[in-house]
Amino acid sequence: MANALDQAVETAAAQKDVPVPQEGEGGGVASPVENDAVGKVAAKPPGTHKTATKPKPKPTGIPEPDRVEPQPPLDAVQFPPVELNDRYLIFPSMALPDLNSPQAMAYAVEDRRESGRQLFALICKPGLPVRTSLMKELKAQSINGMLPMADYGAVFWSPIDQTTVAIVFDRPLGGRYLDAFGDRPPRVNEYELGKLILEPVSQAISELMAIDFAHRAIRLDNLFYMDKEKRELVVGECLSSPPGFDQPAIYEPLDRAYAMPSGRGYGMSYDDMYALGVIAVFALLGSNPVARLSDDEMFAAKAEFGSYQCMCGNERIPMALIEPIRGLLSDEEFERWNMEALDQWLNGRKKTPMQRRPATKPKTALKFGGRDHMTIRSIAHAFSKNVPEAVKIIKNGKLEQWINSSLGETVLADAITGIITACKVQEGSPDGTDDVLVAKVCIRLDPHAPIRYKNFSFLPDGFGVAMAVEYLRKGNFQIPGEILARDLLSFWVSVQNARTPDLTSQERTFQTLRSFAKINEMGYGMERCLYELNHSLPCQSTMLRTTYVDHIDNFISALDQVADQADARSRPMDKHIAAFIATHFKYDIAPHLKALSDKKEETSLIGLLSLYALMQWRMKIPTLYGLSSWLGGLLSPAIGTYHSRTTRRQIEQEIPALVRQGSLPELFDLIDNAERRHLDTTDFDEAQIAFAHAEAEIESIAGEDVDQAKAALQVGEKVTAMIAIVLSMIATAVIIFVQSM
Amino acid sequence: MTTPQMQPANQEERRRRGRSNLTWFLLILAFLAVLAGPTLMVFGLGMVPTLVALIVDRTKQKNNTLCVGSINFIGVFPYIMSLWGGFNDFNSAKIIISDFFNLLVMYSAAAFGWFLFLTMPSVISSFVTVLQQRKVAQLRGEQKDLIDEWGAEVAAIVEVHKMEKKEQHMEHGMEGLP
Repeated sequence: MANALDQAVETAAAQKDVPVPQEGEGGGVASPVENDAVGKVAAKPPGTHKTATKPKPKPTGIPEPDRVEPQPPLDAVQFPPVELNDRYLIFPSMALPDLNSPQAMAYAVEDRRESGRQLFALICKPGLPVRTSLMKELKAQSINGMLPMADYGAVFWSPIDQTTVAIVFDRPLGGRYLDAFGDRPPRVNEYELGKLILEPVSQAISELMAIDFAHRAIRLDNLFYMDKEKRELVVGECLSSPPGFDQPAIYEPLDRAYAMPSGRGYGMSYDDMYALGVIAVFALLGSNPVARLSDDEMFAAKAEFGSYQCMCGNERIPMALIEPIRGLLSDEEFERWNMEALDQWLNGRKKTPMQRRPATKPKTALKFGGRDHMTIRSIAHAFSKNVPEAVKIIKNGKLEQWINSSLGETVLADAITGIITACKVQEGSPDGTDDVLVAKVCIRLDPHAPIRYKNFSFLPDGFGVAMAVEYLRKGNFQIPGEILARDLLSFWVSVQNARTPDLTSQERTFQTLRSFAKINEMGYGMERCLYELNHSLPCQSTMLRTTYVDHIDNFISALDQVADQADARSRPMDKHIAAFIATHFKYDIAPHLKALSDKKEETSLIGLLSLYALMQWRMKIPTLYGLSSWLGGLLSPAIGTYHSRTTRRQIEQEIPALVRQGSLPELFDLIDNAERRHLDTTDFDEAQIAFAHAEAEIESIAGEDVDQAKAALQVGEKVTAMIAIVLSMIATAVIIFVQSM
Repeated sequence: MTTPQMQPANQEERRRRGRSNLTWFLLILAFLAVLAGPTLMVFGLGMVPTLVALIVDRTKQKNNTLCVGSINFIGVFPYIMSLWGGFNDFNSAKIIISDFFNLLVMYSAAAFGWFLFLTMPSVISSFVTVLQQRKVAQLRGEQKDLIDEWGAEVAAIVEVHKMEKKEQHMEHGMEGLP
């Protein structure tokens, strides 16, 4: 695997179309961002580049996610300590490779308030969604049986010249659980297993469950000893990556294991219990019993025989542990052991043995992709991997025939026919493509499995993270967008057997997302879907790429800070920023977004200014000098909306003073003052009328239709007649006067 | 716009109104002949040039008639006054109108009216032309000030109006032609 931080610096700007990750091969796991090494090389500190190395297969066969390889030490002068929350100093020059996580590198930390406290920090990959909501909870309360988190926050990490999240933990002094065994198999006897592993891990699961979270990174290599004496075992961190992201497929229940790592979803404590069951098997046996199987083979075996039978069928499991392991590895959630059941067992109370219900076996196997498939789940998974062949077998009726004759599931066969007919009707349209057909057939065959479309496989609760990782890699939302447009999520919900409130809520969410995705305006589109589903995801705008803005409170000030380096001709707005604001800002900004998306430049600019002014006002931010200056320089077209040149000049003269005040509301009031605008409009109307009157008068005097000489002569004649009349009246009066004398 | 069908109707209306006016005129004339026959006799003969001017003047405003008539009246009025001041009978009236000098005075006045009408308008029109040119310059100046303050869009309404007029002309200009 390539240097994790090299990969980390990959952002949306470094767009490269790379294959979407598949489930890990050979019982191991392919790191979800393994193919991402397209980061900005320039940002790397000298001498940190390392060629990617394939992890050596472990003799025990226990899969581990690739962790970041040890790096040559960085120069302490060139890379000084970084301060977190005015308390912790993180030393880039003091890497702790033994504590690296799959998606984060570990560094030494000094607590300025409590010197001598043993801490370390994980520096997360920028852009990858981290579990901020869980971090908030862990800061407020510690979880027994889990690596204690001291603090977290965004820091500017000089080696990658980017701001990212740092998480500070108490250092596990006894190191990694697996390292304690050296080259020996990590075997624990049946009497120690409960006390040593099951109890502390289950305690962590239980306490996390109480605050409504699942750990989703419970695996053997993520167990640590907190003390040097190696007595206190804890589960390692699960914060630096999305839930289930780093889990080798074997640790995941089949439903989630079928999904790509980023699409495995938030999951529940049931999923943690399953992982605990897998840990128990590995610890008991000291090895992976299915190491020889590829992921696909393992999935097929789990689907056909069940997880317990697949993993322990050929192994000698102590009698006392058969029930808990069988219970923990149950493939049905409602059958899987919960905390109560495990607690009872740990306290020595026996539980009624579970009756395993064998999967319905078909009379004959269905041959597909060079293999005989004995379960519908296995067929659905194989179809999703080979769409062209799947289409043939679906369309020629062979699948339907097999379901009818071999399984006797006529309802299912009819449903498949219905899907084929619906796709035929829509042939030629995007809703009738082979990919959609196969995706729908797979969903109908195995309703609990992930949605699988064009190698993009996810469970609905993992759609947000899957979309975020897809964007991180490819820089676009092509496939998630198609999934929303084809309404596959609603189809998935519609085929579920039981209609739970969760499903209804999910369906409503997807319908909202679909409506957002359809609107091609600022603040909507796929970007809006991204932030709606990933509330803790930092804003992905290229303008904010060197910062880390995951909360609306930091947003405006971050933009204000980058204003000095930004191109003054560009606008402090793009689709990501608009979507981020629309998602996180709690006030109604629909009119502002509408104006922002207007084709007229001036309207769009006024919309932009009004939006930021509203934010500054609502968030009570006293000054924004950088942003005021940036916006002030862009306002010429908005000023041009006033008709009066005098008003324009006045506004232009007043702008610099307001920019110096750093007040966007004042600036907005200057640009779009209702009274001033009304006055301008009415005065302009009056001016238009005055102009028209003048024109009419000119036309009457010297228009094209007027013979000026003739008109003047007519006036002359009229005047002469008037003179004559007046003369006549005077003369008459004089005559009367003279006669009467 | 007047349509060809409407023209004969208007002409008929005008003719009817003309006939009605003539009737009224004759009635009043007969009434005046009974009441003030001698005065009417002097006035009628003295104002003959005005009658000629009325016939000759084909304009609607009848400025020529008014001009000649007014001055002509100045020449006739003293004799009417002398009639009213002396014996107001047909005999006195006959004496007045049979005196060549009296008629010369009356007709000279009318001639002066004609002279006034032939010379004055051209002089006045020169003044009017100069005044009009000054008015146009003043209006153009006002328009320029408006454009300076409000931009060229202030003239948009005028341009739109002109365009509409042009369009209307193009659309309906050929109507009514055979």
